[in-house]
Amino acid sequence: MNFITSCCRITEKNCLINGRIVAHKIEDSPESWFKQLYKHLALEYPKFYKMDMLSQAGFLASEYLKKEYPEFINSYADDEIALLFANQESSADTDIRFKDSYRDHKSPSPSLFVYTLPNIVLGELAIRNKLYGENMFAVLPKFAPDFFLQYGNILLSTGSKALMAGWLGVLDGKVEVSVFLVERDKDNRMPFSEENMIKCFSDQA
Amino acid sequence: MDSLKEDLKKQIIEQLNLEDLQVSDIDDNSLLFSAEGVGLDSIDALELIVLMEKFYGIQVTNPDEGKDAFLTINTMADYIEKKRNQ
Repeated sequence: MNFITSCCRITEKNCLINGRIVAHKIEDSPESWFKQLYKHLALEYPKFYKMDMLSQAGFLASEYLKKEYPEFINSYADDEIALLFANQESSADTDIRFKDSYRDHKSPSPSLFVYTLPNIVLGELAIRNKLYGENMFAVLPKFAPDFFLQYGNILLSTGSKALMAGWLGVLDGKVEVSVFLVERDKDNRMPFSEENMIKCFSDQA
Repeated sequence: MDSLKEDLKKQIIEQLNLEDLQVSDIDDNSLLFSAEGVGLDSIDALELIVLMEKFYGIQVTNPDEGKDAFLTINTMADYIEKKRNQ
């Protein structure tokens, strides 16, 4: 049986781990909400500043999960953790910035262009954590727990031993991020079910 | 020279879309292309070459020269000064 062993939710104002608020946006800060979270994590990873908001969202959620559950990554071989992510907006947030930048500067920006695909966040997570397992980024009409359940169970029955999965909704300042870890045979945790994924997505986990 | 370094940092932040970064976050001696420094990569190197031509009128045509020039803000500023005086 498969279980959700930890989940992280980031909204426009809060960051929650397993339903517990761990960071709250400082509204009058000159720093962006994601930079506030990065500083709260006290990390030294300058590549964070180069990432677009979609990659930053995945990076921050994964780092909060690792902080909460440090042994997760090291419990598995580098090809045993699969990445399974989705959203509704694809990379539209960066696509629009790239289009505007091209229009304003009359030349394309390579550093923006490299983020004009949604699956780049998977590369960022793989590089950061040295993960070489299966990975998938889907663009869906809305948050679909049945997709994660079906695809996740297939991954977990065909070689992957754990999942880092979730929804990365980022567009025009709106943030709806919910990332969770799924593992096999972990007792006393939330079963990997549609109902429990919805709990992760609604601050109730 | 200090204003040149300040200007360089502003241009790098703007041209490389490092919007969350502030001028004060970049040390004059931080390695630009190191994970322990600013963490730039090969794509950013292209942007720096364009930046040098667009804002300082300097064409970086010799790869070895560029490698040394783009080490830190200090080396970039020195390179610009040297080229201006040639």
